Amino acid sequence: MYIAIDAGRCMGHGRCYAVAEDLLSDDEQGYVAQCGQTLQIPEGLLGQARDAADACPEGAISILEHARADA
Amino acid sequence: MTETERGCPYSHVDFGLDTEIYGHYALLDGHREESRFHFNDTTRRGFYMLQRYDDVLEGFQRHETWTTHVRSALNPEPGTALLPQDLNGEAHAKLRRVLNPFFAPAAVKRMTPMAHERCVELIEELRPKGSCDFVAEFAIRYPTDLFLALLGLPVSDGEFFLPWSETLFAGFFGGDPAAAAAAKANIIAYFTEAVRERRANLRDPREDMVSRLVEARIDGEPISEQDILTICMTLMLAGLDTTRSALGYIYTHLARHEEDRRAIVADPGLIPAAVEEFVRLYPLVIQAGREVQEDGEFHGLDLRRGDVMWLGIGSANRDPRKFPEPDRFVLGRKGVNQHLAFGAGPHRCLGMHLARLELAVVLKEWHERIPDYRIKEGTTLVERGGQLTLKTLPLEWEV
Repeated sequence: MYIAIDAGRCMGHGRCYAVAEDLLSDDEQGYVAQCGQTLQIPEGLLGQARDAADACPEGAISILEHARADA
Repeated sequence: MTETERGCPYSHVDFGLDTEIYGHYALLDGHREESRFHFNDTTRRGFYMLQRYDDVLEGFQRHETWTTHVRSALNPEPGTALLPQDLNGEAHAKLRRVLNPFFAPAAVKRMTPMAHERCVELIEELRPKGSCDFVAEFAIRYPTDLFLALLGLPVSDGEFFLPWSETLFAGFFGGDPAAAAAAKANIIAYFTEAVRERRANLRDPREDMVSRLVEARIDGEPISEQDILTICMTLMLAGLDTTRSALGYIYTHLARHEEDRRAIVADPGLIPAAVEEFVRLYPLVIQAGREVQEDGEFHGLDLRRGDVMWLGIGSANRDPRKFPEPDRFVLGRKGVNQHLAFGAGPHRCLGMHLARLELAVVLKEWHERIPDYRIKEGTTLVERGGQLTLKTLPLEWEV
């Protein structure tokens, strides 16, 4: 499974890395450091990945079966 | 037959008027469930009201064509300049990048020890009295002091700064315009002196915001003195009244709901979740305005350039389609982080993390010292219209 963070939608609310601290981190601007990336979700962290997606007010985070070519 | 504007039912409700507490939420809930959109004709230009959660979020995200040339649907005329709010697009993004690092969670964390210390001082000052007007004697003083600290100014200046900012706020909501203008002049003079001092004695621009504003270059140009002062003024206007208001509603809730108060007293670890749910349940900024820049359509609503939009934060946060049983305070509510109290899109509240910190620190330190309190008997709580706040909140406790 993959987590994809849409750089066009992310506005730096900072809720995702607050609820998924083993998976995501913040940058100096307060945005998620993994903004714009698609990452494979390490074993055991799928719950945190889903929490991150549910915490984003902008709907910027998707959980995917397969990494998208365009992500 | 219902009268309509471009197929949209009219609303004649003036949301700028005072009501009893929660009066505005009742009106907004009624509107949202009566019709997806309304056209409100209580202002000269009128405005289209978006009310459902999904619509309001989409409105915030249409930032390329719905701009902050109108910032409030209730006051669409250009008034006091605000920065970065008044900017849009790339110019807005560039200024936000200068400011963001000072309001990011990591920066706010650096303020935490000071935030606790100041909070305890204010509470200890009040505790022996056994009563206070929570709004005037605590809820506005605390964010004012932290705002001064954020600017690298002495918190003790709050003593003379607070009457100025209160007079200026009052001017926005129908108070004496001459007094408000004089207060504004005092505040500008105070900021001017602070900026002058910092130009003479630059501090580390990574940690000191005014030094960063003085030193920053946008497209190779420094930020003008005028704009730096506008930014300071904006941070003040955005951060003080809102935090005060949030505290008023939170303490009303906790005074009236003993089970929720006891839960927080027993386990302060619940406080961050409680803050998030309180902010969802009691949004103070009930709307953001936008101005439509291109003719277009929004889910069947025909919109023209120059139309004023009401992005109904107060309706969205209490939309049962998004938050089941929206009137209930539910700790750990699913999806609570998606509330729109701080807005969305590129203009989302810059100070959201500082606000969360302030509210959490107050809940922790207050309940450690004053775990039981009540609203003075016979009090009628009045809510200011426009941007909600409680005018007074008399609290009592045993000493």
